[in-house]
Amino acid sequence: MGFRVVVSPPTNKQILEWGLNACVDGACLAVKSMVGHSRALSEQGITLLFVPKIVSVAPGEYTCANFLGLPDLLRQYLPSSTTILAPTLDARKSLGALTQSYVRLGLPFASRGAVKRAWRAACQAQQTLEKSLQATQPHRGRLRILLLGPRYLIDDAYLSNNLYSHLQTLGAELHTSAQVPETVARELGKALDKPLFWSDTRRSVGALEHFIQRVDGVINVAPFGCGAESFASALIARRCREKKVAMLDLIVDEHTSEVGIITRLEAFCDLLERKKSG
Amino acid sequence: MRVTFPHLGNAYIAIEALLQGLGHEPVTPPLSTKRTIEWGSRYSPEDICLPFKTILGNMLEGIELGADSVYMLGGWGPCRLGYYAEIQRIILLDLGKQVEFVTLEVPRGNWGLARERLRSIFGSARIRHLFRGCQLAWAKLSVLEEVENLSLQARPREKERGSVSRFLEGQLQKIRLAQSVKTLRELKEETEAGLQDLMDRVSSHAVLRVGIVGEIYTVVEPFVNLRLEERLGSLGVEAVRTISLKEWIEDHVFKNALGLYNQNSLLRSAAGYLHSFVGGHGLESVARSAELSGCLDGIIHIYPLACMPEIMAHGILPQVSADKQIPILSLVVDEHAGETGFQTRLEAFVDLLQRRIYQCQDGRKYI
Repeated sequence: MGFRVVVSPPTNKQILEWGLNACVDGACLAVKSMVGHSRALSEQGITLLFVPKIVSVAPGEYTCANFLGLPDLLRQYLPSSTTILAPTLDARKSLGALTQSYVRLGLPFASRGAVKRAWRAACQAQQTLEKSLQATQPHRGRLRILLLGPRYLIDDAYLSNNLYSHLQTLGAELHTSAQVPETVARELGKALDKPLFWSDTRRSVGALEHFIQRVDGVINVAPFGCGAESFASALIARRCREKKVAMLDLIVDEHTSEVGIITRLEAFCDLLERKKSG
Repeated sequence: MRVTFPHLGNAYIAIEALLQGLGHEPVTPPLSTKRTIEWGSRYSPEDICLPFKTILGNMLEGIELGADSVYMLGGWGPCRLGYYAEIQRIILLDLGKQVEFVTLEVPRGNWGLARERLRSIFGSARIRHLFRGCQLAWAKLSVLEEVENLSLQARPREKERGSVSRFLEGQLQKIRLAQSVKTLRELKEETEAGLQDLMDRVSSHAVLRVGIVGEIYTVVEPFVNLRLEERLGSLGVEAVRTISLKEWIEDHVFKNALGLYNQNSLLRSAAGYLHSFVGGHGLESVARSAELSGCLDGIIHIYPLACMPEIMAHGILPQVSADKQIPILSLVVDEHAGETGFQTRLEAFVDLLQRRIYQCQDGRKYI
């Protein structure tokens, strides 16, 4: 649509510190880091900041309460020179409504044709990404581990304390919910008597069902104070108990130390090895 | 059926009448105590919010008293409350409690289960009794709230400390036993007159008015908010409720079911601060604070630890406070909340409010 796009750098110490200093202390690690990232961008002299209000990405479901208030919260911490572009993305009624809201967002900046072209290109890019994630064959390893948790946490090396690489060093073959196609995850998520209404955790539960027969252990990562995860981790733990699969619950916040994480991962992997060798 | 249900302030008085109208025997759990919360926390996921733990404790205590079914509210997000019932059902199941768990919510799919639930709720009801039960329950809820609101005004002005709370306690029990709408009307008048007698109308010192906003359970349930309203009353402050259970039921149960409920007026009040609902009472907290700032001396915002909607409100309220020139104190409670620390913070806040008043009266600045 003709914008010059600037993306904030990967999370680092400075960014998280900015977030911690400004943000209300009860917020979860991801929100705090988001505040830091916005600050990093505004320091670079950005005039327009894209922070959509993502109410829902699937019919009848929500993302999480924090996403709903995020643009309004960020506005408190940014200088008045930064304008926030916060379209409401809401697929609760239908996926078509979501498309509509994206198109509406672009109209003030470009012609309808250009916006539609941009939207199609974006969809294609997203699809390619999702396909490539699903097709990724994990590194072969002795232990097969399913790693669950919000993507904005486990895919962020700094926030998750390099979880991925530590597990790979320990010889783990990592599976994630990103490898499960949405349709499969949705169908399997119905295994619960009452489906979860948060998309991310509903996906986690679906992915667990998909992989549970094929993995040696499950690791569930959650930010401290996350509402959806507090229920999901209880459900995941219950299912793992039923199927006699080992499970590790990792709750992270700004006080989590990398050494502590490594120790817990090592202990968990040792346990899996032992269980495997009978 | 012998039905137990969780506590929410004094709502049990109305719920008992409703259940009797439905032809069930209500098994009211004892009012929440330390034991409730300890018992509830023992079996809850550890990082769940406080209301969940207390409510689970209520259920366990109700079952201990011989209840064979549990009624609980459900919902579909984004607040955690919507999924409370399902997890509590699973926990009770895993504990081997033989109870029928009925979740009251708008069904999505699974119509067989919904029909079964309706049958177990209304199965033993007679139309005439049901109608009377509903009428009585509604009347009790209305009188209850009016009486409680009156006591909030009376408490800071009482002649003898503690007399209003004692009197109110007695009146509530009378309301609980009342069997007709007429008796309730008389009780209301009696309470009104009684409270007038307890008030000291000679002293002329100004009484500070502090609004209470926040998450509904912590605002309404006195055990969980460490008797916030009473504490404020004995500090000589009139607590002003911004959350009414009656209104909440009207909005979220009746109007919502008919599709008549909208949040336009709340969104108007919160404009410039929060532009959409965030689940729970987050939007209400911001909207009411902005709306009532003109007629209050201060606002207390209270919520359980890790309550996501209220954290959003907590992040935004400082801006409301600065713009509207009104002090706002945010308080977070969980099962470890200590009374002394809580009291100290309230006292400090009230001192600050009093100081602001002096400052206005003689035109000098103290701060």
